[in-house]
Amino acid sequence: MMKKRFGAYVFTFPSLLLTIVFGIYPVVWALRYMFYDYQGFGTPKFIGIDNFLRVSRDMEFWNSVWNTFIYASGKLIITIPLSLILAVILNSKLKGRQLFRAVFFMPTIFSASVMAIIFYIIFNSYNGILNQYLLKIGIVNAPIDWLGASNAMLTTIIIAVWGAVGNYMLLFLAGLQSIPEDIYEAAAIDGVNPIQKMWYMTIPLLGPVLQMIIMLAITVSLKGYESIMVLTEGGPFGKTEVMYLYLYKLFFPLTTSGAAIQNIGYGSAVGFTTAVIVGFVTWIYFWISKKLNNIY
Amino acid sequence: MRLKKALSKLPVWLLLAVVTIITLFPVVVAMLGSLKTNLELTTGASIFPKEWKFGNYIQAWNQADFSRFTFNSVFVAVFVTIGTLLVAAMAAYAVDRVQFRGKKLYIFLQSFTLFISIGAVVLRPQFDMMVGLGLQKSLWGVIIILISAHATAFFMVIGFFKGIPRELDEAALIDGCNFYSIFWRIILPLLRPALAVVALFTFRGAWNEYILPLVFSLTRPDLQTLPVGLASLRYGAGAAVENHLMLAGACISILPLLIVYIFANRSFMQVTVGSVKG
Repeated sequence: MMKKRFGAYVFTFPSLLLTIVFGIYPVVWALRYMFYDYQGFGTPKFIGIDNFLRVSRDMEFWNSVWNTFIYASGKLIITIPLSLILAVILNSKLKGRQLFRAVFFMPTIFSASVMAIIFYIIFNSYNGILNQYLLKIGIVNAPIDWLGASNAMLTTIIIAVWGAVGNYMLLFLAGLQSIPEDIYEAAAIDGVNPIQKMWYMTIPLLGPVLQMIIMLAITVSLKGYESIMVLTEGGPFGKTEVMYLYLYKLFFPLTTSGAAIQNIGYGSAVGFTTAVIVGFVTWIYFWISKKLNNIY
Repeated sequence: MRLKKALSKLPVWLLLAVVTIITLFPVVVAMLGSLKTNLELTTGASIFPKEWKFGNYIQAWNQADFSRFTFNSVFVAVFVTIGTLLVAAMAAYAVDRVQFRGKKLYIFLQSFTLFISIGAVVLRPQFDMMVGLGLQKSLWGVIIILISAHATAFFMVIGFFKGIPRELDEAALIDGCNFYSIFWRIILPLLRPALAVVALFTFRGAWNEYILPLVFSLTRPDLQTLPVGLASLRYGAGAAVENHLMLAGACISILPLLIVYIFANRSFMQVTVGSVKG
């Protein structure tokens, strides 16, 4: 028995060591440096909560927070209903449903940054593939400035939806499989139409699964920045700058966009603030969905 | 009556058709575009290439350094997959089969790393530590950090352990096996199908990873992996970045996964559902 317990420690040791050193320690590191003035060289200087006062006044940061909410809500408003509808359709005994599932889920296997390169070539304003086709068919007379200041956010949302629908469709499908078939059969006899079926049966019956999937979707979309970084680097004019991208730039300034300088102390404070914002949004969502549960 | 039934299905099929087209569009466009000349790609508005330029791939492979990017990507993905499986399976075995002090704390730490995200902040201390260990000059630094993020794999593997009855361990114990040999001789062979699924998931993550190898290759371009090398072309110093070569490079990155996906898409889907249901 003793031997077995010793073996258990031996077997968890590599995992524990890696987790503490590269997973936990960096968080502790950031919790320390967020109270320091540190540019990456020289001696760090303790400055108390000055970094947080600066966060509160940093309009560029709050602009990125605002953009994150636009980006996340835009993505979710399209993704969640669409993936739920697709899941309901593909949960029926439709011919070829396996093939459709496989096709819709395909985008999730690709790298977000590689897809961003492909989408850049598609959406590029002056010689992009999409504009070429639109002009040729005659839908538009002049090329659409997909990545310009007024459309860039919309384009990043479209790309995010493209990458996400299959994933949530699959999660919904898993949830739908727990709903017994005969409830629907009874409803069909009563002459319930598909929209009523969706609103009064499927959504309430999915209940907790739906809530969990939406929560997952919220946190994932608040954190996403990879594809935006490759596609626009947050531009033009900060229109697509999301908070985790802003944070990245504080640590690793991008050469092509502006004169941002590395600022580790301040960056740590921004990192802490973004994590709190994500936590806060999640908590609000929890609170609201709990209230809604009480009403039902 | 039959016609009416067919008509009522029309919106459903229309929706499926539209979503299918939109889903496939970028991938098909990338593949066809990677075989066009740059001029045709940027101005032609054609669907199929007038001339199938398979030479684009050779050009990307040799001149645009995609041979090195590919080698680096394979190197990282293979070792991250092996390392993650080993570390996660060993820990899951101990946690599932033994009662030991600190087990709850261990599980708490694993879930903590899953839920708390301070984004790019962690990259800096991670990089500094690799500099301290002298591992920032190779891809081993990237590999070790990616292996350290094995919490998802751990929870997946432990989910599969429920399918292996404990009686097997006990029988093996009576037959003279000990804690270690039970793992290597009994558990691992039985886990093989499950580990294959986790391997698929881990390999995909490592193959597609962008930010971490980007940070490690900022001052060392020879460490660039496929996503990093490709994205660097987008903002590359050479103003005349050639789109057809970028698409050829993108296809080099996505085709291996696509081919695996065509044969193993059920495993990919199974692992996605499993990781959430946990």
